[in-house]
Amino acid sequence: MKYVGQSVGGLRDSQLVAGKGTFVDDIMPPGLTHLAVLRSPYAHARIRSIDTSRAEKAPGVLYVITGQEIKDNTNPIPENYDPIPMGAKRVYWYALCIDRARYVGEAVAGVVAEDRHSAYEALKLIEVDYEQLQPVTDPEEALKPGSPLVEPAWGDNVFISRDFIVGNPDQAFAEAEGTVKGVVQSNRITGTPIEPRGCLASFDPYEPMLTFWGSTQDPHPLRVFLAEILRVPENTVHVIQPNVGGGFGLKQPTFQEEPLVAYLAIKLGRPVKWIEERYENFQTGGHARDTRFYYEAAFKKDGTVTGLKLRVIADIGAPSGLCGWGMSFVTWYTLPTFYKVPNVEMRLRSVATNKCPWNSYRGYGKDAASFVMERVMDHISKATGVERTAIRFNNFLQPDAFPCPRPSGAILDSGNYPGALRKLLDHVKPDEFAREQESERKKGRYLGLGISMEMTPEGASMPGSVIVGGYDGTTVRVTPSGDVMVLTGVTSPGSGNETAMAQIAADALGCEISRVRVIQGDTDKCPWGLGNYSSRSVIMGGSATHQAATAVREKMFDIASRMLRAFPEELVAEGGRIFVAKDGERAVTIDAVARQAYRHPHGEHMEEIEPALEATRHFRISNVYHQPEKQGRFSSYPTWPYAAVACVVEVDRQTGFVKVLRYCIVHDSGKIINPLLADANLHGGITQGIGSALYEQIVYDEFGQIRTSTFMDYSIPTAVEVPKFELLHQETPSPFTPLGTKGVGESGVGGPLNALCSAIENALPDLQLHLTKLPLKPNAVWAAIQQAEGARS
Amino acid sequence: MISQELEYLAPVQLSEALAALDRYGDKAKLLAGGMSLMPMMNLALVEPEVIISLNHLAGLDQIQEDGAVYRLGAMVRHHQLAESEAIRRHFPLLADAAAGIGDVQVRHRGTLGGSIAHADPAADYLTVMVALGARFKVESAGGKRTIEAGDFFLDIMTTKLEASELLVEVEIPKLPAGARSAYLRLATVEGSFPLANAAAVQGGGSTRIAVGGVTPKPFLVSTTSANSPDGGLPDDVPQAVAAACRDIAGPDADYRRALAQVCVQRVVARLM
Repeated sequence: MKYVGQSVGGLRDSQLVAGKGTFVDDIMPPGLTHLAVLRSPYAHARIRSIDTSRAEKAPGVLYVITGQEIKDNTNPIPENYDPIPMGAKRVYWYALCIDRARYVGEAVAGVVAEDRHSAYEALKLIEVDYEQLQPVTDPEEALKPGSPLVEPAWGDNVFISRDFIVGNPDQAFAEAEGTVKGVVQSNRITGTPIEPRGCLASFDPYEPMLTFWGSTQDPHPLRVFLAEILRVPENTVHVIQPNVGGGFGLKQPTFQEEPLVAYLAIKLGRPVKWIEERYENFQTGGHARDTRFYYEAAFKKDGTVTGLKLRVIADIGAPSGLCGWGMSFVTWYTLPTFYKVPNVEMRLRSVATNKCPWNSYRGYGKDAASFVMERVMDHISKATGVERTAIRFNNFLQPDAFPCPRPSGAILDSGNYPGALRKLLDHVKPDEFAREQESERKKGRYLGLGISMEMTPEGASMPGSVIVGGYDGTTVRVTPSGDVMVLTGVTSPGSGNETAMAQIAADALGCEISRVRVIQGDTDKCPWGLGNYSSRSVIMGGSATHQAATAVREKMFDIASRMLRAFPEELVAEGGRIFVAKDGERAVTIDAVARQAYRHPHGEHMEEIEPALEATRHFRISNVYHQPEKQGRFSSYPTWPYAAVACVVEVDRQTGFVKVLRYCIVHDSGKIINPLLADANLHGGITQGIGSALYEQIVYDEFGQIRTSTFMDYSIPTAVEVPKFELLHQETPSPFTPLGTKGVGESGVGGPLNALCSAIENALPDLQLHLTKLPLKPNAVWAAIQQAEGARS
Repeated sequence: MISQELEYLAPVQLSEALAALDRYGDKAKLLAGGMSLMPMMNLALVEPEVIISLNHLAGLDQIQEDGAVYRLGAMVRHHQLAESEAIRRHFPLLADAAAGIGDVQVRHRGTLGGSIAHADPAADYLTVMVALGARFKVESAGGKRTIEAGDFFLDIMTTKLEASELLVEVEIPKLPAGARSAYLRLATVEGSFPLANAAAVQGGGSTRIAVGGVTPKPFLVSTTSANSPDGGLPDDVPQAVAAACRDIAGPDADYRRALAQVCVQRVVARLM
């Protein structure tokens, strides 16, 4: 293959680097109006009444809307996937709160005005009579009897309750040669795309047609949802995704403002735009990863794990149509990650609180699973004295174990975990590092080497879901001139998968990549597809592109075989030519074949061949099991990329500052289509992982007020904090995709969590630190050092 | 989102600006670089009725040598200080402090006078000004006065400036021949406000060390003692720092006290 596997530069790079992309806020149809959203100032309050009369009279104001109108005229926002098979509860969430606000920032009312400033100014004139209710702010308090309730109809605050027991954990603990127990906690974080959320709707009553531009990851599912919420036929909704300035999962679900904007555009007969402010994004865009893990592990003297008990408590915020709560399920589902562990007891409690709902964020819970499991392995290493990588080698699932069914129902597709860790160690050379560490320590520099594994199951497919499915569609069209159009159902939020599509199509067709144009993000142009999430674009969309392009090539071979008087099986396509493999002189161009297909449909080469060169394929991945009653399991992730990671940090012992000097990763996402773009995705994933491990934290106070609504309070890493990356790949192809791809979009984000804990501990061996709580901000690291020094003296 | 209507004045003469300030007083906010004011207005933390922009005033963006002092206009931007050869030669700590503020865009907008008048306790310039013994030239419609940097800062974002007064110029005495100076910031990520910072000036037989970020306003520790034989701090310095940090409260109090000591040690070490 000429392009697949090559570092082809991103096709849209120059447009974006030149600042010439078109984002939602760049689109200005005539007659444009602007929506501003009034948000609850309270974590939990009953809305007794809303007086909009003053706001309606304010200058420039066209309309003021409240929850009652929404309830009377629209349906609730559908769940992204059915909560029931996951043991979760249902809520009915509308575009505006109906009678109760459940977190600071939940949408209470909206103002449409001629300009954005008038709309925001008029918010101040809406008078809401709130009755403050007791907020639920701590997930463990929320589980106690008598706690106030986020959803009174439920009777408790438990959103998901799921347990499993495999083997006999009690016996394993009774017979153990050693045990450890503890609690680790991952922090509440969010994705912070550079472009916050935003959308624009315009309605033509004569067509009738609702045109909707959204900074979304999945235009087709959004169309389904808008049609359902607004009670209009789906074929009268046209969703367009312009350039998107980062999604990271936050733009996957349908959020309140999307149907609100669409409803108002229809109602007012004028285009309505909503562009989110950064503080709104922090308050309402969706959070992630806030989870406590109570663990106990039983093991033999050599560190072989014989039993594991885990209690997972996830603070998922207020239940909503954002699909973030599923992350707690995926954390549970991914455990116990890489390790055999014959006896397991795992209890999951996903708890509703009066905080911003969780929303899908890169990692989607797999990050937290890797974090806790790797912390447990490090703890066992300390308890047994068995070196930390040896512990992992002792407990790894072996390369012959695949496909490997797991206690949660997951089926790991393929992998070579010891191979990745060995390759990492060969690269990092821990012995050499130890010598450097020793000599630097004598100079007062504390360097530490961290080691971790990271597991990122991909290609999520949830039963009964419009949005989360293990398939996608592509149309490949060779035009009458021989140019190629690839129309995909997967989208790119700036991650570059369009370049991979072009590579796959060019190779399958045998044409030059310069002839290929990729079109995404438009429900009137592209075939049905589910968009971008769960690293699925190349897994599903790339496979569909491969299948559709292969179908078109086969048709071109049929035509060419007649033109060349050869058998189709003798033909090869390369460089825009179709020729007989054994005689390169007997050739036709793809352009010439296209002429036959379109301009000579009744000619001698086209007899009994359908005119035109176009194919649409919907690729469906296997290794997904949705019928427990027939198949005995529920398995939602078909591919299982993973990585072994190491990092070197310098710890400032006096201040607790941690500097990441090196970050090495041996990554396996199967066949890599484009190493350059795969590496670029890893750069982003690792950087977000480092950010969440060292700097980022959403903070709420005891009243449920968010304390981190700006980048002054919520620090994310800059280019200066990004370490030197050393990226190595190991390719264990997926047996379930035609090209062996597994997905790389989320990879990298989970490794830093344990790797940084482990590196800091390694830098200060005399203190025997055991870090359990993220983020590792300087004050937290300093406090841990002080505590250890105090305990030692 | 700044949604309220407001009056925007862009005077070109200092006298016009002072007259406007005199007229509107508390209702007005002065706009220098806007790197603090604009975010605060976006978050509706301040909602002024009048904005008086200083960006069109002539002559406030100069860096001038004047005998024994340097005169820096209040509208000198951070990047000017960071890149000025004269500042780098005479007050390298000020150039260092300016170079570490925010990012390139911020440094091209943000101003010396704006940062000082805003008086965020963690701002880089505050400690530098206190260590250098700068004097602030302040004007109002009614007259002029000079305030010592050491007296200027009163509390978090609170200074001796009256509502009618404008900080016009910063006057910094030249350092004695052979003097050394250093600046140090400890920030979580590049460009963020420092958790703590310190500025030190050594010369003429004394060492002046200002510390910021840990207390509501910067504090100054000076000593005439010689350094200890190992090149470390004279004993009276850590004691003075501890005394200045005594009233720090809150969950991170111990950490902030520790950072103050570390900053002082390290900034002094940079003098060597």
